[in-house]
Amino acid sequence: MKLSLLLKTTVAAVLLTATAAHADVKFGALYPFSGQLALLGDESARGLEIAVDEVNAAGGVQGEKVVLVRGDAVDNNQAIGEARRLISREKVAAIFGSYSSARSIAASQVAELSGIPYFEMGAVADEVTGRGLKFLYRTNPTAEDMGKLIVEMIVNKVAPGIGKKPEDLKIGIIHEDSSYGTSVAGHQKKYAAEAGLNVVSTQGYPASTVDMSSLVLDLKQRGVDVVLQTSYQNDSVLFLQQANEAGFKPAAIIGGGGGYSMQPTADAVGHKVIDGVLDADFTQFLVNTKYTPGLETFVEAYKKKYGEAPRSGHSLNNYVGAKILLDAINKGKGFTPDALVAAVNTIDIGEGVTAAGYGLKFGKNNQNERAKMMGMQWQDGKLVTVYPEAAAVAPMRLAK
Amino acid sequence: MTDISLAPPAPARLAGLTWRNVFALAGFLAALFVIPVVIDDDFIYHIFVTLFIFAALSTAWNIVGGFAGQLSLGHAIFYGIGAYVGIILMNMGISPWLGMFAGAAVAVVVAVAISYPCFRLRGPFFALATIAFLEVFRVLALHFRELTGGATGLMIPLKFGWEWMVFRERLPPLIIAFGMLLVCLAVAWWIRSHRIGFQLVATRERESAAKAAGVDTVKVRLIAVSVSAALTAMVGTFHAMYLTFIEPAAMFSLPFSIQIAMFALIGGIGTVFGPLLGAVLLVPISEVARGWLGAHALGLHGFVYGAVLILVVLFMPNGLMGLLSRLNKSSETSRQRQAQTITAAQAPSERPSLGDAIVKVESLEKHFGGLHVTNNVGFTLREGEILGLIGPNGAGKTTVFNMISGFLAPDSGSVSVRGADGTWHKPTTPADFAAIGVGRTFQIVQPFAAMTVEENIMVGAFHRFSDVHEAREVARETAHRMGLGPWLDAEARGLTIGGLKRLEMARVMAMKPRVLLLDEVMAGINQTDVRRAIDLTLSIRDSGVSIIAIEHVMQAVMSLSDRVIVLSSGQIIAQGKPQEVVRDPTVIEAYLGKEFVHAQA
Amino acid sequence: MDTILQLLANGLMLGGLFAIVAVGLTLIFGIVKVVNFAHGEFLMVGMYLTFLVTRMLGLHPFVAVIVVVPALFLIGALTQRLIIQPLMSARDDHIQIFATVGLSTALINLALLVFGADIANTPASGLRTPIEIGPVRVLSGQIAIFVASIALVIGLQLFLQNTAMGRAIRAVAQNRSAAQLMGINVDRIYILTFGIGAACVGVAAVLIAPLYPTSPTIGTYFVLTAFVVVVLGGLGSIPGAFVGSLVIGLIDSFAGFYIGSDMREVAVFGVFLLILILRPAGLFGKQLNLSHVSP
Repeated sequence: MKLSLLLKTTVAAVLLTATAAHADVKFGALYPFSGQLALLGDESARGLEIAVDEVNAAGGVQGEKVVLVRGDAVDNNQAIGEARRLISREKVAAIFGSYSSARSIAASQVAELSGIPYFEMGAVADEVTGRGLKFLYRTNPTAEDMGKLIVEMIVNKVAPGIGKKPEDLKIGIIHEDSSYGTSVAGHQKKYAAEAGLNVVSTQGYPASTVDMSSLVLDLKQRGVDVVLQTSYQNDSVLFLQQANEAGFKPAAIIGGGGGYSMQPTADAVGHKVIDGVLDADFTQFLVNTKYTPGLETFVEAYKKKYGEAPRSGHSLNNYVGAKILLDAINKGKGFTPDALVAAVNTIDIGEGVTAAGYGLKFGKNNQNERAKMMGMQWQDGKLVTVYPEAAAVAPMRLAK
Repeated sequence: MTDISLAPPAPARLAGLTWRNVFALAGFLAALFVIPVVIDDDFIYHIFVTLFIFAALSTAWNIVGGFAGQLSLGHAIFYGIGAYVGIILMNMGISPWLGMFAGAAVAVVVAVAISYPCFRLRGPFFALATIAFLEVFRVLALHFRELTGGATGLMIPLKFGWEWMVFRERLPPLIIAFGMLLVCLAVAWWIRSHRIGFQLVATRERESAAKAAGVDTVKVRLIAVSVSAALTAMVGTFHAMYLTFIEPAAMFSLPFSIQIAMFALIGGIGTVFGPLLGAVLLVPISEVARGWLGAHALGLHGFVYGAVLILVVLFMPNGLMGLLSRLNKSSETSRQRQAQTITAAQAPSERPSLGDAIVKVESLEKHFGGLHVTNNVGFTLREGEILGLIGPNGAGKTTVFNMISGFLAPDSGSVSVRGADGTWHKPTTPADFAAIGVGRTFQIVQPFAAMTVEENIMVGAFHRFSDVHEAREVARETAHRMGLGPWLDAEARGLTIGGLKRLEMARVMAMKPRVLLLDEVMAGINQTDVRRAIDLTLSIRDSGVSIIAIEHVMQAVMSLSDRVIVLSSGQIIAQGKPQEVVRDPTVIEAYLGKEFVHAQA
Repeated sequence: MDTILQLLANGLMLGGLFAIVAVGLTLIFGIVKVVNFAHGEFLMVGMYLTFLVTRMLGLHPFVAVIVVVPALFLIGALTQRLIIQPLMSARDDHIQIFATVGLSTALINLALLVFGADIANTPASGLRTPIEIGPVRVLSGQIAIFVASIALVIGLQLFLQNTAMGRAIRAVAQNRSAAQLMGINVDRIYILTFGIGAACVGVAAVLIAPLYPTSPTIGTYFVLTAFVVVVLGGLGSIPGAFVGSLVIGLIDSFAGFYIGSDMREVAVFGVFLLILILRPAGLFGKQLNLSHVSP
């Protein structure tokens, strides 16, 4: 089965290259397609591919067919190499990417030096836009948005839900120690301090850990009410299980994306154990579709193209970002860097009209100032959206 | 010459590059540089910059991993240090051209601090220790956020131009990377073809024999590791400027360390140009393979990579250089030197009369656990004398030898040696002993198997001569004297036991010792060779060298020794003229048991 | 006080976990004198096999032993026969290390190819039930691992001391050429030992799979610690490795609580390096007798 899939994709790739010879306009798709980050890198790229399919079906951009050229950003040096290949050999008009912040930071430097626009639709680190690059645009919400949303949720919903004043809650922050976990945790701390919350413990740990019992014990000893964890899959599972087994039952656990948003995590932990756990992340699929028009069409297209349901919200967010950008480019004149920049700078889309819910307008440092995360909760084995109200499909369940 | 079966003499690895090879190499390097310039494409430039960087890192690694034989899987420590120091200083407004040297200096300090305690660990243990250090460094880089930026890493301010090592143009990075590769190659070549290179390889092959040949094995390896760390750090600084962004996960990475080592392995570990060759072959292939396999199926690329690695290790353990030299062999045979007639042992000159004491051994004691292996052993050796040390198996002869050459510290007692200037010294380490002119052979021969006969002897000669040409002359001369002339270019592993014993002696003789300790040099060789070895030993004595010889071959003991000491169960039970000693009943008893004495009586 | 007891219990349980992974590695290391960098991947393969058996046949994970242990024995024996044995005579041990590194890379990526990067869950089957002993809580599965690791250590020790084959194995470990002269088929002993070492990690895989979700890289999480334990215990000393595991488990547990979880790796590796440098023969290793062959 795997083999036939392999053959199919190979043939598809060959055909793609063949058609590319007389392609009209090329864009780069730079994601980690192999190595450790491959799974979600690939998932992200699928969103872009669906967006391109839709655009091509509707007649392309400026009447020309869009062709995607893949680049595999397996490590930072490779990200630079692939960015160079896309720009110099494939002569792409712009690069879309790239899920991983480190790859994005490395590759976008190359694009900036070559004066080619780089559209980031998935990497969350502050430094991606924080460098003030001229040709880098980011459509997705960031680590900062995640930290902000989580603190907002605590103040507005969690504290009243469990019947305590926000400042009386003891907050414990734990995070995996790579760039992702560290920067989200940093923002959580910052916004918590601004909101007057009481953070009693902040701890990093390596994502490849095999034991978190000491950490659990520490949180238990401090009597933490709300645990904030930013993590990948392995450590999410480990923490939730070990906390449960140690009899540590905080009033709320709020995950930050990564492992918390994935169905296999819930299956591994057990639906009973994960029930009630909150999560902040990109827009996911169980959401009020009045707030996210176009979501169902996307899921349909995804299932048709890849023969399975989306594995995470990464595809959706890349789809939304790419769709809006391509639509804007369609309205522009030509594919020169300046024309592309001019076209995307005109984008002004409000909340509640895209499939991801959030709007798009590039603000300071070309960051989408309307990008927002959403709050989800595991309820009966499903990850349902509970925050903000407009997007919620179910009320947040909290025990007093 | 029956005792030496001849493996076909391999061309001397170090016999200097021929002009043809020099031109070929220069052409190859020039082509590497010119290809990207001619193709003139960003991506090709990047591949070649990557190639040069990997080749340079691998060449630097090879100085430790190949020449010194210390398998470091933590070389990313130095690469990371170079990168971090470079960027931290650049953020303070200091040019990376200076930062590069600062990084190298830090790397050298760290390298020495890490390696010194670790050098007693061999093979896998050293590798594991370096991995552990790498993990520690990665965690520390994550932890000290103020300095390193923590997990998010550090970025460089985009200041362009030669002074900042950051460029909009693509040619300058290529030039710098190429320059660094040339520097690394030149350093590696210099090391391998000078005294320190011989000493490193000798240390790798047989540490104890190298020590006996007067090599300060710790020092040479520390030098190697320092040079390697410094070069690695400098390349690291440049690569950081090229990447413009560094983070602990990418800088202090185990897979990266392994990859560096692998280029050397595949190209030919321990050779000067092997790492370059490995990188030239592998970097483009893995780029192409990634493009072909990577995008289509998760893991396929890595699987093929791993499988290829296993196959390479299985079927060409000596790497590409091994293949090349095999191909090259036929054309090299013409260069083989004319077999030389063996000069018979030199005509005995007038024997000088015995002089004053040159070695004084006083009440040596040694215990191994509950075993009293050396019990109050003391004797003196006079200048120009041959002292025979005999005794039944397990009497503790070799233990005494180990103590009077610095390989084993006695529990108590002392060994004094009179220096050339007439003053007395109490050396303690093998290096001390070698320095003062005590040379030794080993009962179990310890050749540097991968080196040629000439190179083996040169290691000894380097003790007195630091210049390669002089050492080579001395080595050749010694080889001819020892009857090893025809095999100068053969690898030592090809010699038979008799040849190896003579090689062992030749290596010591090349050190021009004043005192020679011979441990059973005649055991296991045939009658003719025993006769010749006796003549050889006598002629060595006549040239003014004092000798202590452990020997079982009685014929040799009787005809050589001026005096004999008999050791049994760690004690001296008799000493005197050979003829007297062999008639001593205690000696007969020690050798043959009580019954024999009674029967005789 | 309760905290300390709980930390102690956590440390011991973690130690048991490290021990059961490290026992096979120690055996291979002690006898064949090869550092098997693919050991973690053997564990990973065993865990996937356990996953497949339990998922496809709906059996209790422990039943998978009858499939996993022989399968891993075979993998181990084949590794020795096809990859390590041709390299036994290689000039230096670098070569063998790289061969096992290659094997490790190939196996991780093979798993990625076959199973994808997602985690695979072996049903917990009651092994995640917390058991309270006084103020201390541990999992039934953890106790199973702890007990099994002790049993494995004792079993191997008895096997090595009291059976003809065990004695042959020890003879080979002590002096390869002497053993050969005595008519022991050294190559066969090596193949056997490698197989047994891999089979031990098969036992570990069956016990660990219900407690940890399986992924292609799961082996790498354990293997560095397993190396640390092996060296700590002394070259190839199986009881030594067990004690080393407990020591590392306890350091990990206490350092994680008192120093902070981000620095506990430094504590573990720091102790490892100290012991490696101060006592290269490990906690239980014998000092080598240096009388004839110089250091």
